[in-house]
Amino acid sequence: MATHALAPDASAYSRGLLYEWLTTTDHKKIGIMYVINSFIFFLIGGVLALVVRTELAQPGLQFLTDERVYNEMFTMHATLMIFLFVIPMLAGLGNYAVPLMVGAPDMAFPRINALSFWMLPLAGILLVSSFFTGGAAAAGWTSYPPLSGEGPLNSPGAGQDLWIVGLILIGTSSILGAINFLVTIFKMRAPGMTLFRMPIMVWTILVTSVLVLMATPVITSALVMLFIDRNYGGTFFDPSGGGSATLYQNVFWFYSHPAVYVMILPAMGVVSEVLPVFSRKPLFGYKAFVFATAAIGALGFSVWAHHMFTTGSVFLPFFSLLTFMIAVPTGVKMFNWVFTLFRGQLTFSTPLIFAIGFLTMFLIGGINGAFSASVPVDFALHDTYWIVAHIHYVLFGGSVFGIFAGIYYWFPKMTGRMLDEGLGKIQFVLMFVGFNLTFFPMHMLGIQGMPRRIADYAANAGWNDWNRAATIGGFVIALSILPFIWNVFVSLRNGRVAGDDPWEANTLEWATTSPPPPYNFDRLPEIRSERPLFDARHGRIGH
Amino acid sequence: MSSTPRKRPAPDALVAGVVVAILIALVLAVFLTGLGSTLYPPKAATSQGREIRGLYDIVFAFAIAIFIVVEGLIVWSVLRYRRRPTDVELPAQTHGNNIAEAIWTLVPTAIVLFLFVISWQTLNSVDAVSAQPDVRIHAIAGQFQWQFEYLDGNGTKVATQLAPEYSADTGEGGMAVPVGRSVQVTLDSPDVIHAFYVPRFLFKRDVVPGQTNRFEFTVDPKEAGQVFRGQCAELCGAGHRRMLFEVIALSPADYDTWLQALIAKSNATPAPPPSGTVLNVVAKDIAYDTKALDVAAGTPFAITFSNQDPSGVTHDIDIRDANGNVLANQEPINGGTSANYAYPGLPAGTYTFICSVHPIPAMTGTLTVK
Repeated sequence: MATHALAPDASAYSRGLLYEWLTTTDHKKIGIMYVINSFIFFLIGGVLALVVRTELAQPGLQFLTDERVYNEMFTMHATLMIFLFVIPMLAGLGNYAVPLMVGAPDMAFPRINALSFWMLPLAGILLVSSFFTGGAAAAGWTSYPPLSGEGPLNSPGAGQDLWIVGLILIGTSSILGAINFLVTIFKMRAPGMTLFRMPIMVWTILVTSVLVLMATPVITSALVMLFIDRNYGGTFFDPSGGGSATLYQNVFWFYSHPAVYVMILPAMGVVSEVLPVFSRKPLFGYKAFVFATAAIGALGFSVWAHHMFTTGSVFLPFFSLLTFMIAVPTGVKMFNWVFTLFRGQLTFSTPLIFAIGFLTMFLIGGINGAFSASVPVDFALHDTYWIVAHIHYVLFGGSVFGIFAGIYYWFPKMTGRMLDEGLGKIQFVLMFVGFNLTFFPMHMLGIQGMPRRIADYAANAGWNDWNRAATIGGFVIALSILPFIWNVFVSLRNGRVAGDDPWEANTLEWATTSPPPPYNFDRLPEIRSERPLFDARHGRIGH
Repeated sequence: MSSTPRKRPAPDALVAGVVVAILIALVLAVFLTGLGSTLYPPKAATSQGREIRGLYDIVFAFAIAIFIVVEGLIVWSVLRYRRRPTDVELPAQTHGNNIAEAIWTLVPTAIVLFLFVISWQTLNSVDAVSAQPDVRIHAIAGQFQWQFEYLDGNGTKVATQLAPEYSADTGEGGMAVPVGRSVQVTLDSPDVIHAFYVPRFLFKRDVVPGQTNRFEFTVDPKEAGQVFRGQCAELCGAGHRRMLFEVIALSPADYDTWLQALIAKSNATPAPPPSGTVLNVVAKDIAYDTKALDVAAGTPFAITFSNQDPSGVTHDIDIRDANGNVLANQEPINGGTSANYAYPGLPAGTYTFICSVHPIPAMTGTLTVK
């Protein structure tokens, strides 16, 4: 320290810090950068959602008088939220947690890890820049051709091409990350950590990585074909040239349905770490949970066409049956979680509150999704606001609540300081109320016949009240983000010092300092179960 | 340690009772206040829709039951198992229970298999199409307007009805169908994917270019005289929300009269070529061939309009003033046809001529009156 006093070149030091973060291959720093980068795109995507909700607050076109701009808003909202927020946010939490949880010093390929991260801001800049180069993609995040093709009424201009290139970059990042996770998990576990002693979070990242590795190349092929159709006169998806419009949908959903599990499985992993810690019990049915996760992964590849029941070109009974069947392993998990709480000793810290928020809301997202497995019922619900309600109960009520549970849970490990509990609970209450006020009415709107992706609706359609409620809820959600940002800001400086293990947790990341040293561990405890720290604290009484 | 009564945990039965009472009260409140009815589809207007509604009710009943059981367990655990200051010892470290886990695997499996079977049965019924339906309609969805071609028993077109223009009075448009008769609709698109959706049918079907979809329905006889809202349900571009249509349910006799009038209108000799100022405008590839027209002030004029886009793509030429008010509203014509549009005399000034179906720059021009 004395040498710093002798050469107090502050600017050189701060440049050094920036240089350190820009060139790091430390999985912890990369994980934190994933989280920050994803959070920035969460904020941008959230603003786009508010624009959509504001336009829909009442009938009539208020301020988005160009409907194409409205289409850009919801297209980019979903694109940013899915590809630059939920997926990389969970990959970032995994990036931070997985090597620590398996007792490894880093990911298997640290420089590839840095590469997969740095592709994301690049892809994000490409996507956002399309707003300033003649209009962003406006064909929905699904970008079905022919609408996503050339043509004055379809998707002329560079926005759709930038969207394709951005998604291919993100997909490449995902594939590299998945390989890195798989090698880390299979080859770098600490002595004693057998596969069935891995934390559930690691299991969910493992299954997620398999899904990413098998599915992402498929959507890349769809995107490349779309790019060829748009720019070089291809006719893969153009019936007038012998192509098929629904071919794209099959290829797209072959990735994008598993992608839903990519977005929910790691959040389930977070919840499965948080619930046992804060109820002082092991996860109920660990092995059943692992098998259920694997079953969801496998079934996830055989249900894609349930997004296409109304196209008239789907073998309906097969996809209906498998879509119903996927409810079974999901239900197993729900009961495992509930019976982890059952007869526990619950401490209602913010991570547990968000995890319980996940349980209550993901339950609704599971139930309202089962309606669409019933093909005739889906004929009524498909492409209405019911579906919008469903995906938000899964991806917001599920993934986002799980993400915040994870952030509150691991923030002390990442920074050495605790987030404020009071602000955390204010955030939860605002977010929970705002979320339900926004998305529950969408069930009513959908069942009453309001299609998704419309810029306006008739004043006499009977949809005014629920739309107004949803818009108010949207702003309450936005409000809930402010105490979180403030919480991070003040807690980084003044938060309670966390110590190694503030939660009396179970898994290895809490066996090292907060934040951990670059090499993660000085020594590791004995690993005889999926809860090595619990065993170290309480002996083997739990077994 | 736990000698004072206040610190003793509430009896399980009491907490369980409170949780169940709250949940039942919530569900009752939702349904008694009428909010619950908004979670049901609107009254089905077709026999197929009624079957879907019956299926929905069964799925909904299971959904409510599962919701109450699981949400009740969560709420119960949260209320009952808070950690108390007296909780120093660990709770029982339960790792699992094979019987419980078998039950919550097998019971849901049985439930979803049951739902699958009844869904499949309903599907076979609502998805059935007959070889000889009473009425055949060929619906064409083009960006951004619907057309309904009425076919005879051999599939030959006898008349065409355009869905009303979005901004026009909607008195005469829409797809009329007779109640109590089977109506088979074939769906085609000349451009992108659309979807035929009538909420009161509880049904939609995509309109996919290069693929002819087909479905059938029978409107309930007591719905005669009703009009049902319909709308494109698959994002099809900037005009997506304007792709509205109506289904008008008529008694068979009224329907026959309506169809004969439509046939007569379709077969009527076109208006004679107007005299006086006649301009020529061609629409091709979703663009006018001219962006500027000039006419004399105060003199009626005419435009011979040729729509050279594919069949299914409709265009027109409306005239709007600087404030966007529609001064002349023409009926769109189908691709491959032409029409003579007559316009009244206008005061001197600058106006906009525009395609009401595609109000994009390529189909907007300046009309100079001097």
